[in-house]
Amino acid sequence: MPTSWPTRKRALRDERSFASAAEEHLDDVYRYLLYMTGNPHLAEDLAAETFERALKRWRRFDARRGGARTWLCQLARGTALDHFRSERRRRKREGIYASDIPELDEPVFGEGLSPELDRAVRSLSAAEREVLVLRVVLELDGETAARVLGIRPTAVSTRLSRALQKLEERMVSDVRG
Amino acid sequence: MSEASYVTELREAAPHAPERLRNLVASTPVAEPRRSVQLRTVVAAGVALSLALGLGAAVIGGLSPSSSENRSGSAAEGRAFAPVHQAGRAQSARPSTMLIPDVAPELTAKSRLQRQDVSMRLRVKDLSGATQSAVRTTRRLGGFVAAADYSTDTNAGNSHLVLRIPVANLQKAIASFTDLGSILSQHISVADLQTGLDRLDARLATARKAGHEKQVTRLERRRAALVREGTYAKVALQLTTTKPAAKHVVPSRFDSFRDDAGDILGREAIGVLYFLVIAGPFILLAALALLAERARRRRADHRLLEETG
Repeated sequence: MPTSWPTRKRALRDERSFASAAEEHLDDVYRYLLYMTGNPHLAEDLAAETFERALKRWRRFDARRGGARTWLCQLARGTALDHFRSERRRRKREGIYASDIPELDEPVFGEGLSPELDRAVRSLSAAEREVLVLRVVLELDGETAARVLGIRPTAVSTRLSRALQKLEERMVSDVRG
Repeated sequence: MSEASYVTELREAAPHAPERLRNLVASTPVAEPRRSVQLRTVVAAGVALSLALGLGAAVIGGLSPSSSENRSGSAAEGRAFAPVHQAGRAQSARPSTMLIPDVAPELTAKSRLQRQDVSMRLRVKDLSGATQSAVRTTRRLGGFVAAADYSTDTNAGNSHLVLRIPVANLQKAIASFTDLGSILSQHISVADLQTGLDRLDARLATARKAGHEKQVTRLERRRAALVREGTYAKVALQLTTTKPAAKHVVPSRFDSFRDDAGDILGREAIGVLYFLVIAGPFILLAALALLAERARRRRADHRLLEETG
């Protein structure tokens, strides 16, 4: 279908800016989804879906209201939540209560991560891993993390503190055990 | 192992997106950007359009000659400060000396017996002084006070006098009354009694010729009453301290436009306020419901993530 010159020009500009944003933040989105799901394959699928959504909604992105990374993380969170909801419905329907996180020998949350730390992270809930990845791995400041999670910065601090405390407890018990 | 070392390890060992995903995202075909109209844009455009329509209606209404004319007419009616004492015969306030001498001499004829009724309404500063002055003038000119009604309150005072003044001195009396204050309205009526008097005289002569004493006496009484009616003019004098309304000035074109546009804008504002008063509680409820739903959804999402291992 032939398109007018300004529309094609705009499309080209959008494509270029989206492509650069996707390239720049792909790792962050993947990390975020990996920590949320604890499953590399699922994180990969959800990341692809996130970028598909991002491309469709790219025109709505407003840099004045936050960076591209924040916006992509928000989209990724929505994608992950949709997946968790549908999974919960499926489990209810099928009566399955197995965890999504596969029992793998190699570390899930990063190459070179100690098995104890990987197990400890794996033992956290998705909500705890979520705040951990945003504040620790992606190094977002409290306000940006709060914007991604849709809560107040103080709540982010509280959740992070609890998550780190729990992580330490798990590590200590793992070492002792 | 300390908390800082976990953090460092987690950061250093942060995973990278697999190459397959990278290639997939890079090769994602860019669809033609769809022109999606955002809700915020629609709301802003709606508000702007409503404002433009409102202002446009006010401007058109202000420029419309019919509304200005109607308004001028109604304003004139509303602002006319000369209350109509006798419908169709009252005159607006004018310098008092111009009124009576111009009109009364044309209506009266000294050679004929006439009944003269005068009513005047004057605005005075000193109600008590003006009332006393009117009574003194009446007596000085050979007249008398037939009725008096005097009342005052904190804001205004009114004095209503019914005076009988010899017709011969009526002009002097009126001239004297006009000096008491500003004339707000006046009414002069003259009725000819001469025809009736001539008829009575004829009947009286016939009765005398016929020697009907009783009829003569009765007719003489009627004649005396008629002559008395024509001898004394009835003057209804109403004195008031009520201040007049602002003098009506024919508004300029710009003033008319401004007033009309202001009226329309005011009506529109009332309409908007009315809508807000009616719809406000529903809008508030909807907003609260929306906020509650968002909070519920956020809690549910957090619970879901807490439950997810």
